[in-house]
This record gives sequence, structure tokens and C-alpha cells, in this order.
Amino acid sequence: MRLAHLLARQWAMRPGRALATVASVAVAVGAVVATWVAADASRSGYRRLTEAIEGAPSIEITSTEEGRFSIEELPSLGDIPGLRAIIPLFYRPTLLRVGEKRVREIAMGVDCKTLVGQGLLELTEGEPCLAPDEMVLDAGLASSLKLDVGDEVLLFARRGIKRMQVTGLAESASLATFSAGGGVVVEIAALSDMSSSLGLVDRVRVVLKPDASRSDVLAAISKRMPDTLSAAVPAGRASMAEDVLHAADLGLDFVTGLTVAMSWFIVVNAMLMNVTERRRGLALVRLLGGTARQLRQTVITEAAILGLFGAVVGAGLGLLAARPIAGGIAGALNAPLTEFTYDPVIVLVAMLMGPAVAIAAAWWPAREAGRVELLEGIAQAPPPPARGVSMRYLLGAISLWCLAGLILLAVLFELMPPRAAVPAGTITMLAFVGITPVVLPWVSSGLVRLVPSCWWIEARIAHEQIMRQPVRTALTTGVLVVAVSNGIGLGHAIQDNVDNVLGWYDGWMQADWLVVQAGALGAMPPQAGPDAAEIDEIAREIPGVAKVEAIGVATGRADGVACVVVARDLPAGESSLPLDVIDLDESSAREALERGEAFVGTALSQKTGIEPGDEISVEIYGRTTKVKVAALVVDFMSGGVAVHVSRETGRTQFGLNAIEVLLVTAEQGQAASLQAPLEELANEHGMLARSFAEMQSMIDRVVQGIVGSLKSILMLGFVVGSLGVANTVTMNVLEKTRTLGLLRSVGMTSGQVTRLVVIQSILLGAAGGAIGTFGGITTALFIQISSQPLLGYPVQMSLRPGLIALNMAAAMLVTAVAAWLPARRASRLDLLQAISAE
Amino acid sequence: MTVLAAEHISKTFGAEAAAAAGVQAVRDVAFTVEQGTFLAITGASGSGKSTVLHMLGGITRPTAGRVVLEGVDLAGLDDEQLALLRRRRIGFVFQRYNLLPELSLAENVALPLELDGKPRTACRSAALEALEQVGMSHRADHRPDSVSGGEQQRAAIARALVTKPAILLADEPTGALDSANSENVIALLSKLVLEDRQTVVLVTHDSTVADAATRVITMRDGQIASDETQAAATGVPSS
Ligand SMILES: Nc1ncnc2c1ncn2[C@@H]1O[C@H](COP(=O)(O)OP(=O)(O)O)[C@@H](O)[C@H]1O
Ligand SMILES: [Mg+2]
Repeated sequence: MRLAHLLARQWAMRPGRALATVASVAVAVGAVVATWVAADASRSGYRRLTEAIEGAPSIEITSTEEGRFSIEELPSLGDIPGLRAIIPLFYRPTLLRVGEKRVREIAMGVDCKTLVGQGLLELTEGEPCLAPDEMVLDAGLASSLKLDVGDEVLLFARRGIKRMQVTGLAESASLATFSAGGGVVVEIAALSDMSSSLGLVDRVRVVLKPDASRSDVLAAISKRMPDTLSAAVPAGRASMAEDVLHAADLGLDFVTGLTVAMSWFIVVNAMLMNVTERRRGLALVRLLGGTARQLRQTVITEAAILGLFGAVVGAGLGLLAARPIAGGIAGALNAPLTEFTYDPVIVLVAMLMGPAVAIAAAWWPAREAGRVELLEGIAQAPPPPARGVSMRYLLGAISLWCLAGLILLAVLFELMPPRAAVPAGTITMLAFVGITPVVLPWVSSGLVRLVPSCWWIEARIAHEQIMRQPVRTALTTGVLVVAVSNGIGLGHAIQDNVDNVLGWYDGWMQADWLVVQAGALGAMPPQAGPDAAEIDEIAREIPGVAKVEAIGVATGRADGVACVVVARDLPAGESSLPLDVIDLDESSAREALERGEAFVGTALSQKTGIEPGDEISVEIYGRTTKVKVAALVVDFMSGGVAVHVSRETGRTQFGLNAIEVLLVTAEQGQAASLQAPLEELANEHGMLARSFAEMQSMIDRVVQGIVGSLKSILMLGFVVGSLGVANTVTMNVLEKTRTLGLLRSVGMTSGQVTRLVVIQSILLGAAGGAIGTFGGITTALFIQISSQPLLGYPVQMSLRPGLIALNMAAAMLVTAVAAWLPARRASRLDLLQAISAE
Repeated sequence: MTVLAAEHISKTFGAEAAAAAGVQAVRDVAFTVEQGTFLAITGASGSGKSTVLHMLGGITRPTAGRVVLEGVDLAGLDDEQLALLRRRRIGFVFQRYNLLPELSLAENVALPLELDGKPRTACRSAALEALEQVGMSHRADHRPDSVSGGEQQRAAIARALVTKPAILLADEPTGALDSANSENVIALLSKLVLEDRQTVVLVTHDSTVADAATRVITMRDGQIASDETQAAATGVPSS
């Protein structure tokens, strides 16, 4: 390397410049490492959240016909990666007799010992059941029946009454993975023998490893299913978690993608500045006979060295920052961070990324350096700004927008997965950077009028300098544009989604108390559920109760897709519907339900292709009924896979008598007094009474946890953006040292020079903020549109002036502060030194 | 022996596209330079002197005509070949910004050889030799900003000479110097011509500087106004 000593000397003479370049790479690599680790932490937090809601993630295999199927029909699945256990399940409605008490319960046949051994079923006490006359009880059920390990219970089965012994108590949450509301566990062979159905199962539950991708495993399993069997994600609470988390995951991808893009941009910018600042020297070397290749090599070698250096520093900083961020995210998600682990691949990739990005970023300036105008080396003044670039930038930006728009359309029409929107969003944002040189001059001239007239001179020169070098200044502004777009775009998207979810819950649950079935949603024939008609009548009798709404819920299939059937009456005389019905006014919606028509959740409509006006065939309890679809509804509870009907329709058409949820509204001021009677009622029917506030706070916790994790990563992006902006502005000012010295020499005071630089930076900050605001709103729209196929309905986007103002203010503040320090230094430089600076 | 020939070269700026709206800086200039000539090109500011020099040195290309250096037509070379030619056969000296501020004088002088891939030690000794030739060897390891303008210019001349070029091109080398330093630099160039038969083309608007040359071309409005051979210079201006 012939010019190595030239490089070494340049670093030694201008350590600031080399350091700024290293810093930019370090910031970028650090950002990538930290974001990556934080995103990993969020994902595993989400998984734990899902587990908390639905138990271990699983896939359910059922018969495509009605009822049970022979276990022989199940193909071997053991070799599919990501499987934790394959659990055949057998359900049997039974009656338990304990002393004088009789309780309807669902007995569940499983291979209890193996499940306990695998840690899938946790016993709070006792042993797993092995013998045909042994059983394990749900700990909650046992305590309400005042049963303990060793007690005896009578079980009514098809083959008569059987005396059984309780050998263990199961922890309710771990039972939820298999139970369909049942609380009695019996050895599977024993139970099926009791029912004269040896070798038959109701369903097979495939439990996944925590880090397995459910969609991949589902695809692999589905491929092997014979015609008689089908595999699906279990409907109900599980799919709610799944879909909400899908959207959060997409958000995470956006955050990561934009942060990476921003980091790259910061590095590219630093490299460009680093090279352009030395044009004169490079031109002189060229004049003396240096070939373009030699200059390219020099610039690229420098990039590699500085990049590697920056990568080492950045990876270290990133890991340091990642630990508290991951901890914070885990805290927000209520998923304690047991140990801080990161994939060493991350560090390796980041280390390679440093020099790779630096070299890639240096490629263009290196080419430019090779082509540098020879006369520049001997010219007295810097070259005049290049003209006629505007059109090219504009055309470039427009074609990028078109490309991004096409990708977005493809996502919207489901020709591409939602994830494809992430690169499209990134492209859009970069296109906004592309139009910056075009827009900057007139934004700046508009803004400069707002500067107080006492600083007119400073402002004028500041503006002139911007006008003279639109491309160069645009690069500095570009970092701001990216940072602000990022903040505004993601901020909007996150907030809109949260409002959307929370708003829905607010509308849906207008009550003081909820009485819900313990365990998962009922999939069993109605005779197994609590005695339906009575419970809401009983609740209405309780003094202090103003209103009771009963909701029946059952899992089933609609056109072959797992769904939830919700039977609910719309309360008469209320101003708004508790359902978010799309394109149908309130009275028509009520009429449709009364006519026996159904509303279908948006996600279900997406999956089945069903539209309003069509007929959908719904199968529950082994019975198939066709209903007409009146409209689509937005619905979070079931992840949008619900069929809503009136209770009357539920009873007559689907045999859905059971009440799953009771919404109880108290009379004014009576809410607290309802606790005791409602809890008693719930206990009697194997249900749980929960206060609405408690429920609300649970939902809030989940939603806020997800939001918190996204926001921490967004904050990280903001810090990175600020560092990038600060770095760029600093380089921009250092580069101007000579000009500033000249201004000083013609009589500007050092105060004036400092003001000039700060005003200029604020102009750039404001312009970057303004362009970034447009970029951000576009990005938010992108996220919104691309999550539509996931959620099945469009999320309302609302402008948030506070968020925009915050980002603008931050952009201007960061630039002003970043400019002030180097400006002060430059303004105090010895005049001669400033003038002789290269 | 003819070292350099300018064959009816012209240069128009800024009118590559449409009609001749551009500035015609040089119009149909033709001359040859024999080895050992000390040629001064003079003329008023803006008369096209520098533009001619840039074309002679392969820094810019003529819009018409051609430049032939040691029998090689510069128009036939691509940019990289031109770079090699500048590195090996041409020495440049300019008015200012001649030296890289990061490098010592010796390193600056050695740069063209290093670019050419010569071994380090050979570069260093050649650089010291060239500095010796211009009387600057005692400042070899100083940085450019720690020596005077005249000394910087002498170092720049040493750098131009270090490759033993066919021709040395100097554009207003004394333009930024006081008269004593100017005389020094001119004396140095004269000495190179006389003692080493170095061919020198010097551009200046200063007629006293031109007096040291053996031949003077005067330009006006981009054209040659006169071309006179003077009595052999004494080497040191008498004043
Ligand atoms: N890069 C350029 N673009 C446009 N015009 C130029 C350029 N360089 C020189 N000129 C014009 O060409 C003419 C000759 O310039 P130059 O050769 O520098 O004159 P001199 O060196 O004799 O002062 C001048 O009118 C100058 O303005
Ligand atoms: Mg000139």
C-alpha cells in the first residue's frame, strides 16, 4: 500500500476527522447489535407472553369428519424439527360425585406420567395417575370441592360408576394447554376403555419447542396429514395472542429494518464527508501521477481500517447497551430476564458489517476521488457547486416511491408476505432523503425569514452556505430526515395500534364484573357446560345488579377454518354497539342479527374468503349449520376469527346454550358490593369472577408490555439518530473551519461566527425535521397498510401533533447542540491557522 | 530534439452541447519545444496561458488539435495512461497548494516515485538528492507549513525533478513569492536548464521573470501574439 503513510499522517494531523468516521461506524454497528439483541429479547418475551395466555404454543390435529378418530390414522411426525411433544387427547363428559355434591366435568385422557416427566403438566402435589382407578384433579377444582391427594371420588362413566382415587393435583395454567375446560385427568387408555372407545382420540395436541416457528411447523405437519385429518392453530385465546403478536413482530421488524437503514446511512454519509473533505489533496496526488485505482485503493483501505476499528468499538458498546435494554423490555413484558444471552453470530456479523459497510459506503466516494477534477488540486477556490442534479434526485426518489408502492400493493393483495413491507418502508424513507437536496433550498429560504432581524447577517450567510452546497448539506440533513422519519413513523404506528386495541376493549367490555369459564374455551357438547339459561337469570336477581349480558362461546370450524362462535345479544337501547361492525349502520346490524344472520371477524373472512352476503357453514359440537353473513366485524378477543350471532341463533342453530362469559354491570356505586355474591355464583358453576378493572389491567399490561418493548427499541433508534446527527453536524462544521476563519479575518466576531453555525444547524434541523415529518407519516401509513393483511382490517391512522412537535424539537435541539461545540472551537481558532487550514 | 509539440490546440469551455456559447480560452495555438529550452509563456491575466499549460501536461484535453510529448500523442491515452505519463515524464510546479501538508518535504518529493512503486529506500535517497539539487536538503524532514513560501516552492521543484521528467511545467511559480524568493526560484530553474539541459515551460504574467527564459511566447486573447527567441540567458538575472 503505497499511500499508507499518507493515510497515517492524515489521521495523525486530523485525528478529529478520523475519529468522527470511526465513531459513525461504531454508532452504526452498536445500533445494529443493540437493536438485534433487544429485538431478540422482545421476541422471546412475546413468546413467554403467549405461553402465559395459552400455555405452551401448540398445534391441534382433529378429524375433518365429525368426532373421534383412530390414533392409527396419525402419520409419524416425530422427525419434524421444533416439536416438543405429541399428545393424544381423549375427552369424556362425566359426572363426579364427592359426598353429596355432583359436578359436571370433562375428563381428559392423557398419558399423564409422560407429560409430567416432560414438564408439560405441573403437579402442585402428589403423583401422576397410572392405574385405571387413579385421577389427577385441577388444583382449583380440587380446592373448590375440598378434595385432597388420597381422597376418593365417584366417576359416572358409560360403563357404570367407578370409584377413583386422587393421586395428584395439577397446576391450572399448565393444564390449560390440553384441557378443553376440563379439570379431571385420567390415564388415556383407562378413559377410552371406560367409554368403549379404545384406540380413539378426540384430538392430538402437538406442543412446540419455545423457539420454534408455529407457521413453519404447521406447514410441515399439514403436508403429512391424510384427508381425514387436519392440523390448525387452536382457536380462541391462543389465536388472539398469535395475531396481536404477529402485528407486534411486524413492528419489531420495522424498527430493526429502519434502524439498520439509518445506521448504514450514517456511515455512508461519514465516508462521503471524509473523502470529499480531502478532495484537494486527492486531486493533487492525481495531478502528480497517482492513478484513479491508487486513489480508490487508498480510500477503501482507509474505510476498511476505520470500519474495523469502529466495528470493534461499536460491538462492545452495543452489547453493553443491549443488556439494560433487554432487561427493560423483559420487565415491560413481565417476563423476567433470567439470563442475558446473545447469539455470538450477532457479534460476528456486526464485526464483519463494520468494515463491509464502511467499504461499501466508501465505494462511491472512492470512485469520485478517482475521478476528481485535476484542476481542483491547484485551484485557489473550491469548485463551484454541481448544477442540474435536482432532476436526477427527484426522478430517483419518484422511482423509489413507485417501487415501494408496488411492493406495498403486493402486500395488500397478499401476493407478498407482510414482511416484504419492511424493505419497502426503508426504500420510501431513503427516497425522502433523495429529495432533500431538491427541497432543502426553498425550505431553508422560507425558514430563514423567521430568524430575528438582529441576527440577519448570520442568518443570511448561513442560508447562502446552504444554497451553495445543496448536495453536501443535504447529506447532513439526510441523517436528520431518517432519524425524524423513524421516530414519527414508528411512534405513530405504535400509538395507533395501541389505541386501536385498547379502544376495542373499551367498547366491548362495558361492565363492572366479568364471570368467565375457567380454563380454555368450551369445545364440548352443551350438556357438559354449566346449566345455561339459569346462570344469567340468577345473576339478574342479585341485588345491586343493573344489567347482565350473557355471552356464549364455543370453538368450531367455519368453512374448515378453526373459529370461535360467539353468541351474544346486542343490548337494546344503548347508543353504541359493543361490536365494531364494518359498513353497516346500527339498526341494520340489529335487524340482521334478529333475522338469524351472522357477523364474521375480519381475519376469518380473510382466511376463508367469505364476504358479506355469502353463506358460511359453521361446525360446532359435530353439527354443521349454514348461516348468512351480514357483515364483517373487527374483533381482538378471538384474533378476528369469530362468528358472531345472537343468542337465539346460537341456541336454535348451533345448540350453543352454554354461557362462557357473563358481563355484569352494577347499579351506581354498587360495584364493590357485587363481589361476594358473584364469586359465590361463579364457584357454584365452575367459573371465575373477575372485576372489570382487573381484566382491563391485565389487557393493559399485555398491550403496554408490547408497546414498551417497541418503544425501548425506538428510543434506541432515537439515540442512534441523535449520535449520527451530532457526528454529521460536527464533521460539517469542522470542514468549514477555513471558511469560518476567513469570515473572522474580515471582521466577524467569534460570537457571530458561533451564531452563524448554530443558526445554520437549526435551519438544517428544521428542514430535516419538516421533510422527515412527511417521511414519517408515509412510514406510518406503510406500517398500517402492511399490517392490514395480518389483522384483517385497516387500522385508523391519526395525526399526532405532539409526537411530531417532539421529534422536530429534538431534531433541532440535537443539531444546535452538536453544532455549538465545534463552532465555538472553530470561532476561537487562531486566525492564521484557520486560513492556512487545508 | 523536439520534446514537446502543441499542434494547433484550442480549448473551449462550457459548450460541449449546443452552439458555441462557451468561452474560447485558447485558439489554434501551435509551437514546438526543443530539449534544453527554457520557454516562458507570458500574457495578461485571462489570456489563456494556464489553459495551454494544462493541455501540455495532460491535465485537460484540447477541444481541437493535439499535444505530442516525446513522440506520444496524448489524445491516444486514456486517463490512467495519462496519469502514468504525468508521473514519469512530466514535472509540475504551481503557484500554491503544491505540497501535501501532512507529509514532510522529503516525503512530498518522494511521492511520485512511491506512486510508481519504487522501493522505499530508493525513493528516499532520490528525494534527498533532488532536495540537494534545489538546496533544500537541510529541511528534508520539515513539514511544508514550517518553511517559507520560497522554500516550499523549491521543494515543489525538487518533487517535479525527482522523476527526471522530459519536461518541467511551471504555472506562475513565483506568483505568491516576494521578489528575493522569486529570483531565487528563477535562478534555480535557469540553472537546471543550463547545467542539466532540463526542458522547462514556465507560465508567468511577470515580464521580468520571462526575461530569464531563452524563448518567450506572448499570448493575447487565447492566441499567440509573438514568439521570440532571446539571447541565451545568463542563468541569474542581472538585477
Ligand atoms: N474551467 C474553466 N471554465 C470556464 N472558463 C475557464 C476555465 N478555466 C479558464 N477559463 C477561462 O479561460 C480563459 C483563460 O484562462 P487562463 O488560461 O486561466 O488564463 P491565464 O492563466 O492566462 O490567466 C479565461 O477567460 C478564463 O476565464
Ligand atoms: Mg493562469
